[in-house]
Amino acid sequence: MSVMDFLVIATFTAPEHIYPNPQAMLWLLPLTATIAIVYKATKLPTITLDLFLKEAAILFGSIVGFIIITASVLYALAWLISA
Amino acid sequence: MTRLSKENHTQILLIVGLLSWLVPGAGYFVLEEKKRAIIIFVTICLTLCIGLYIGSIGVIDLQGQSPPYVKAAQLMNSPVVLLLANRTAGGGYPVYGWPNEIGQIYTMVAGLLNLLCVINAVSLAHLGKTAPAGD
Repeated sequence: MSVMDFLVIATFTAPEHIYPNPQAMLWLLPLTATIAIVYKATKLPTITLDLFLKEAAILFGSIVGFIIITASVLYALAWLISA
Repeated sequence: MTRLSKENHTQILLIVGLLSWLVPGAGYFVLEEKKRAIIIFVTICLTLCIGLYIGSIGVIDLQGQSPPYVKAAQLMNSPVVLLLANRTAGGGYPVYGWPNEIGQIYTMVAGLLNLLCVINAVSLAHLGKTAPAGD
């Protein structure tokens, strides 16, 4: 096993340091992109680059937008209750 | 003759389903949907790798304390998960807290998306279409 192979494997044997702070919420963005890409890859009748990117971007934006709206409503509710 | 073609049809569906599970996107590949197959293969493999990178291979814990739904969702990825589970069986790769949760979420979502692709590929093979109807 070469040093390069060892280093690549080593990155998968120790967890990353992620702390429970607001920045950790950004980890949802790659996951949302994944869901949008795979969903559109299964649903589009024909796949062309521009159409696929457009559709996936719209779905990605819709999911993120809905999450932001939901978070805002929950934050407002929490603020009203605790005020 | 009809019985024979029915058996062939069932065999094709089984092969497409099994291939889709073995290698994400392979079911579409045998259905001549190469662009779809490549997109799905790259996306699902990348998501699984990100999950393993964040939480380490310790997030694949099929013989440990993880809830059954986590194990089932992770198993949907491919048999690679079984090999990794064999490797982590002794508890040699402990992972706790947020890296564990985020790693599990990524590997679970990759598995569930692969399940969606398996079902969709089998459905396409059954209907004899080359492209889905759209959303």
